Amino acid sequence: MTDWHVDEGTIARYVSGRVPLSVVASVEAHLMACPRCRAMLAPVVELDRLKQVWGGVVERVDAPRLGVIERLLRLARVPEDTARLLAVTPTLRAAWLLATTAALTFAAIAATLSGESERATLLFLTLAPVLPAAGVAAAFHRGLDPTYEIGLAAPSSQFRLLLQRSLAVTAVTCLAALIAGLMLPQRTLTTAAWLLPALALTSLTLVLARRIDVVYAAASVGGAWAVVVMSSHVRTGEFAVLGASGQVAALAVTAVSLIVLVVDRDRYAARLGGA
Amino acid sequence: MAVPVQIKGVTKAFRRAVAVAGVDVTAGQGVTGLLGPNGAGKTTLLRMMATVLAPDSGRLRLLGHDPATASGRLAIRRHLGYLPQEPGFHRGMTVFDFIDYVAILKELTDRRVRHDEVRRVVELVGLAPVSGKRIGAVSGGMRRRVGLAQALLGDPEVVILDEPTAGLDPEVRLRFRELVSQIGEDRTVILSTHQTEDVAAVCQQVVVLHQGRSLFAGTPAALIEQAAGRVWLDVTRGVGAQLAWRNGAGQVRNVGDAPAGAQLTAPTLEDAYLLLVGDTEVRVA
Repeated sequence: MTDWHVDEGTIARYVSGRVPLSVVASVEAHLMACPRCRAMLAPVVELDRLKQVWGGVVERVDAPRLGVIERLLRLARVPEDTARLLAVTPTLRAAWLLATTAALTFAAIAATLSGESERATLLFLTLAPVLPAAGVAAAFHRGLDPTYEIGLAAPSSQFRLLLQRSLAVTAVTCLAALIAGLMLPQRTLTTAAWLLPALALTSLTLVLARRIDVVYAAASVGGAWAVVVMSSHVRTGEFAVLGASGQVAALAVTAVSLIVLVVDRDRYAARLGGA
Repeated sequence: MAVPVQIKGVTKAFRRAVAVAGVDVTAGQGVTGLLGPNGAGKTTLLRMMATVLAPDSGRLRLLGHDPATASGRLAIRRHLGYLPQEPGFHRGMTVFDFIDYVAILKELTDRRVRHDEVRRVVELVGLAPVSGKRIGAVSGGMRRRVGLAQALLGDPEVVILDEPTAGLDPEVRLRFRELVSQIGEDRTVILSTHQTEDVAAVCQQVVVLHQGRSLFAGTPAALIEQAAGRVWLDVTRGVGAQLAWRNGAGQVRNVGDAPAGAQLTAPTLEDAYLLLVGDTEVRVA
């Protein structure tokens, strides 16, 4: 115990934050052990400021730990609450990203090793546009979202959540497909021609999901796409579906689908499970 | 002010199976229990109240709003707390994180306000000591409390709890009843259960459902009253007993049409419930 105590002037300056850090440390070390100085300090502390500081401490302690996806979204300036909703999307999590990247890389590498570059390209171009649609379906399937029922009874807009998650899943999956595409033996414009069809298949899946289960919708759209691409290639020996007319058609399907989605959003919200 | 829950002649069928067949329910402030065996239609009815399922026919109003319209659903959901029968959790999330996530779904977008609300409900259900633990690492009883906590976010006027005490051990069940009772003091709580003890403990009103139909609606005391004069003790199963079982004292408790001179005893809620649903599978042990 010491006979030294903090004088009133120092206490006043400490409370108003007008003392150097070295003095702050010294005062706080003394306050821990000195009831007399704590009693002198208590009446002059501003309660509102104390509550504010304490609130900040509690907030810092309770702050949710951000995962990788949430950090990336925040870095991309996505608002805090939206980033949190997106980060919970099942298909945005690492497992889906790994599976998507692995599937596409496998397709590219396997064909490279076999030396059959055209077959590799066909396999890749068939698979790549389907993956975003599959990802969106997985993002909304009740079996993959443990909080599906709780979410349905919550007031936040299911339609807005649908668009946000679809956009995020599509962007991430397309990025994975782009990277995998770099591994193809033939790196021509054709190997990037899947992008518009991918958007078309994804938006068409969402439109169909107004009436049927989203997984069935994605499976139907993906299956139809595979049949069209392969039969076209067998018939013509080229990637005709991915040519200029195919790209225009894909753009048209995307545009019409998005318009239908927006115009009919109430029905879509009901299909998502609302009464 | 509108009665918080008004249901009239509501029906719901899944393909050919009729889950709810013309049920009426009116519930005001306090705890109302939906009592019935498995498959009675309790969950279907609660899901319709929670706006996650549309009825095939009938009239349903919550807080005066019609869930058949988009604006009505939104208005209801803003004042509704819902704990599904088998709530799912993101098990990798901490208790705080999960409730925070649901709070965003409930339109609490301001981080500071939202976190204050999360802390409030976490304290309310006694989860503060484990709020930083992963949901996968806490007990089943704690997880049920997490479910209850998310249902209380935003201080809802109507709270719907689907079998909140199912599968809980006796001590946790008692704590849960205490919580539900507290919650029901200043709002409308609808809970489903197949345990008569739950109803006797916390419900001011009870609706007995069986095979999709409402067999009784009223106070637990009125339900018990229906069994007055129909419960008696004997050394064997009595003639006219609809149900009979040997109790802990070695006597046979008979429920049904008591014979003349029978040693009548005070009925319980369980006796009345069994008489109502006519469970003929219960026999002397």
